[in-house]
Amino acid sequence: MAGHWDEVLLPSGIPRRHWRQLFVDISRMGAGQLDRRWASGQQIIQTQGVTYNAGDPGESEDYSWLMDPIPFVVDSAEWSFIERALAQRATLMNAMLVDLYGPQRLLRERLLPPELLFASPNFLRPCMGIAPPGGIHLHTYAADLARSPDGQWWVIADRTQVPSGMGYTLQNRLVSARTFPGVFSHYNVRHLARFFDAKREALLALAAGRRSNPAIVVLTPGPHNETYFEHSFLAGQWGFTLVEGADLTVVDNRVFLKTLGGLKPVDLILRRMDDTFCDPLELRGDSLLGVPGLVQAVRSGNVLMDNSLGSGLVETAVHMAFLPSLCRELLGEELRMPSVATWWCGQDGPRRHVVEHIDDFVVKPAFPRHGHHAEFPESMDAEEKERLLARINARPDECVAQERIALSTVPVRSDDGFVPRHAVLRVYAAWDGASYIVMPGGLTRISTEDSSFVVSMKSGGRSKDTWVIGGTDEPPGTRRQASLRIDSTPMKSDLPSRLADNLFWMGRYTERVESLVRLVRALLPALSGEADFGRAASLETAIQLLTGMKFLTEEISSASFAEQRWIVQRVLVDLVYDSTQTSGLRWNLREMRRSARNLKERLSIDTWRVLQQLESQLSGFAPANPDMRYLAEMDLLDGVIVTLSAFSGLLMENTTRGAGWRFLEIGRRMERALQTVDLLRSGLTTASLDTEASLQVLLQIADSSITYRQRNPMALQVEPALDLLLIDETNPRSVGFQMAALLHQINRLQENDEPEAVERQLTLKLVNSIRESRTADLSKRGGNGRLVALEELIQETTATLWELSDSLTARYFSHLTASRLSASW
Amino acid sequence: MLFSLTHSTRYVYETPVSYCLSEARLTPRSLPNQQVRETWISVDPAPAFLRHREDYFGNDVAVFGVFQQHDRFAATAKSIVDVLPEPVDGTPWESSLSWEETRELLAAAQDEECMKASEFIYDSPFVPTSPELAEYARKTFEPKRPLVDAVKELSQRIHEEFKYQAASTSIDMPLGEVLRQRQGVCQDFSHIMIGALRSLGLSARYVSGYIRSGAQFTGAQASHAWVSVFIPRGGWVSLDPTNDMIPSESHISVAWGRDYGDVAPVKGITLGGGRQSVEVEVYMQPLDSGTDP
Repeated sequence: MAGHWDEVLLPSGIPRRHWRQLFVDISRMGAGQLDRRWASGQQIIQTQGVTYNAGDPGESEDYSWLMDPIPFVVDSAEWSFIERALAQRATLMNAMLVDLYGPQRLLRERLLPPELLFASPNFLRPCMGIAPPGGIHLHTYAADLARSPDGQWWVIADRTQVPSGMGYTLQNRLVSARTFPGVFSHYNVRHLARFFDAKREALLALAAGRRSNPAIVVLTPGPHNETYFEHSFLAGQWGFTLVEGADLTVVDNRVFLKTLGGLKPVDLILRRMDDTFCDPLELRGDSLLGVPGLVQAVRSGNVLMDNSLGSGLVETAVHMAFLPSLCRELLGEELRMPSVATWWCGQDGPRRHVVEHIDDFVVKPAFPRHGHHAEFPESMDAEEKERLLARINARPDECVAQERIALSTVPVRSDDGFVPRHAVLRVYAAWDGASYIVMPGGLTRISTEDSSFVVSMKSGGRSKDTWVIGGTDEPPGTRRQASLRIDSTPMKSDLPSRLADNLFWMGRYTERVESLVRLVRALLPALSGEADFGRAASLETAIQLLTGMKFLTEEISSASFAEQRWIVQRVLVDLVYDSTQTSGLRWNLREMRRSARNLKERLSIDTWRVLQQLESQLSGFAPANPDMRYLAEMDLLDGVIVTLSAFSGLLMENTTRGAGWRFLEIGRRMERALQTVDLLRSGLTTASLDTEASLQVLLQIADSSITYRQRNPMALQVEPALDLLLIDETNPRSVGFQMAALLHQINRLQENDEPEAVERQLTLKLVNSIRESRTADLSKRGGNGRLVALEELIQETTATLWELSDSLTARYFSHLTASRLSASW
Repeated sequence: MLFSLTHSTRYVYETPVSYCLSEARLTPRSLPNQQVRETWISVDPAPAFLRHREDYFGNDVAVFGVFQQHDRFAATAKSIVDVLPEPVDGTPWESSLSWEETRELLAAAQDEECMKASEFIYDSPFVPTSPELAEYARKTFEPKRPLVDAVKELSQRIHEEFKYQAASTSIDMPLGEVLRQRQGVCQDFSHIMIGALRSLGLSARYVSGYIRSGAQFTGAQASHAWVSVFIPRGGWVSLDPTNDMIPSESHISVAWGRDYGDVAPVKGITLGGGRQSVEVEVYMQPLDSGTDP
């Protein structure tokens, strides 16, 4: 495109030298092969669940990370300039923070207008005077770079509180290295792994200053955060525990992780949470996401922060106007890479210049304020422009104007071949204990439209890997392809209570989903119309079960057969497709996934893949044609059962038998017991007209028909069926089996606790009441035709199971929600 | 004059609280005309720890945690304070600087004092400046008018034009709404005055404290609030727009900051608790001189 620097082609149309090899390789590969390789590379994004939540924060949906196959190539000479410039800028930003949260010489000597501090919402007064060890506020720093038409690089944004994107950068590398394995290795692309290792070692060394064997946690706002994937990915890569605010507590000015084994001290917090959210007590934050008392713990020197609280102060656009002089003053050097030309309207001269040349600028709020964004006067109509000018003149101090840079272009693969798009490069620096080191690569983000200057992952933009080629300084032997670490479930003592909670509920929801699928699958044949044909469930049985389980709440016994059939069909279809129904399949699947999301760094990639498969199986719409619907649903549900089995199998085979596993198992067993007794109650206890039909369906749902027929080839009777479904501890679907498994898990979980622990007592009671039951008594009908003894047993069992669930919750899971004391005066 | 002060804040929770971390700004400041003879804070149930620190504005903060399960909680602060009869602020009232000159000095922030005071000319979370507040102030701030005259009149106008109505507002009511409704409590009166002054580029801070009870004073049932205004080359002067008076022997200063949010008497985060109710009682009583407190 004219008027832009073309990253690939020289004005003559020949590729620049550092792009040539890639250019040749891609041409040789041809479009077909490129697309095939790209498809295979992208599978990593799918299977590792690389997501970016760009949507409405109220929705829990994830969006797949969007990536372009062609890397952004930077040659080594240019890179070494970028590297030095970035390290200098990180040093400068850190020096500014040291001064502004300390002696404030910059204000006294008028090197910075005091307003930049006093009016900034990013200046955290409670953090004034806190001097971090070694004078390092910034452990991680990022800058967004852009190249203007003359080939010059500019910094267009600084990120000093929670620079995001490092994890995505590493993901992009895994994908691009897989897409172009040959080119990648011939090309001498500098590896990222060393930077990540160095960053990890620096954190460990820093924390080791406090005590040997220190504990480091990654603090995330939670799965709703747009970059949650990255938080869990980095925590997994570095082997640090991923925590939310509620997992930490401050006692005696020290930070602790709440685990099943009690409070474990935390030495360093790698936070992925914005400044003001970190401590709801001392910092203003409208949410309670953070850790109350954290500021005081930091002030007392009892916990280290990456980055320091309040470090967002220097990332506001308004600071850029002052950096050249600050760099001379603080570092005695010239700023190596200029910032995009920035005018702060709070000064008269700059304001006049901005107002006179308004079309040349992007106007931004001087400090981040909710609901204020960058504005582009050039594309405004006269009225809008008047309003903007009026605002600048009314509150000049709140506006900065930045020159618009015509961003350089890179090729992007589209349906129409390669198209040029604008690029912004995010680069990272980290303090390694002695100096700032720069990641040899970065996150290249590209505009969605050729005319757009907005480059943002939030507005659905795509990213590219960034290849720095040549001039590798890595000693041989340290080259290590970043590999995914599949976390084994840690020992009981280190499992955060919240994760135990999530595992428990994932177990419960998984089982709920499975019983729903089994129920619907067994009842669908009742709709075929051939009521008593073969092994098909009768409509009457279906109505009885659905009514018993409260899926059907209307009284329809007097309705015509056709009406009944229509109603049952509607109930079954809703159970599968209606996502608003809390008892339905979709709702429970969503809850299952919600629990799983919190466990992301603890689940294997294969487990995720299966979970995603399950979701895609159940994401379709109900077919319009009712006949098709019946068949489609049968196929669908058969498929879902297989996927669910794969999910259970993976959990079973790939999870270490630690405390985490126990909670998952307890959740499953408890839910299966609840579902099975509910099924028995609905199918058997009422004075059924057709016990045989009921039994047939029950056995089918409980996957026990074959065993039953082998043991009792003659007839379907209540007593042997109860034996198989309720008491037989060798049948993995019986209630007795679940109780025995529960007892085993609870015993192991509480092996070091007092023997009279209430959970153990409750479980023993459950096991014994089933073991001591006699099927002959249970299958006797009372005067009203009901199975009274069975009804009583089921009622008691259900109540005890819920009591056990509540008791486990109270003992192990941190369920108390934080709240703020009301204002008083 | 010697005063005895008691400020108790009681919370009652719907469900038990297992953890409460709290900050209280209840200890009066030591000032030239205000000597704190004795001061202590008691917390019930007994806190796991209670420490004092000084905050950014130099206020005393008592930080404490209650980690045992409880369903009610009370923090009571008691102090004996000697308030000296001389005028609170002394000579600054004699300043003849116009308000425009003051604004220019603050904007330039050349000397250390003006630089520090300039912190209080910007918007703060509870006090966003606005054209409406500026317009309200301009009726009083006529060109070239001496600052001290204008602030006295502003205080008088707020006293007359706003209706004091206990419990008429919550701290969540935006300042613009208070300005429209023309009613509120002492926090609102103070925020309005601070906002009006800042809208003109003047420096004003929020002072929390106590006022002696008596028929002639409004605002004694709870902690009170008033305003300090910076006068270059003079210092800070205080005005109480709720009572339209210059705080003197009848006022005791506890803490100051940009607005209520910086000096809230009790803040805290609890785990559990559900719905809560809060009750506050404040007594400020003169002690007979010579009597042992």
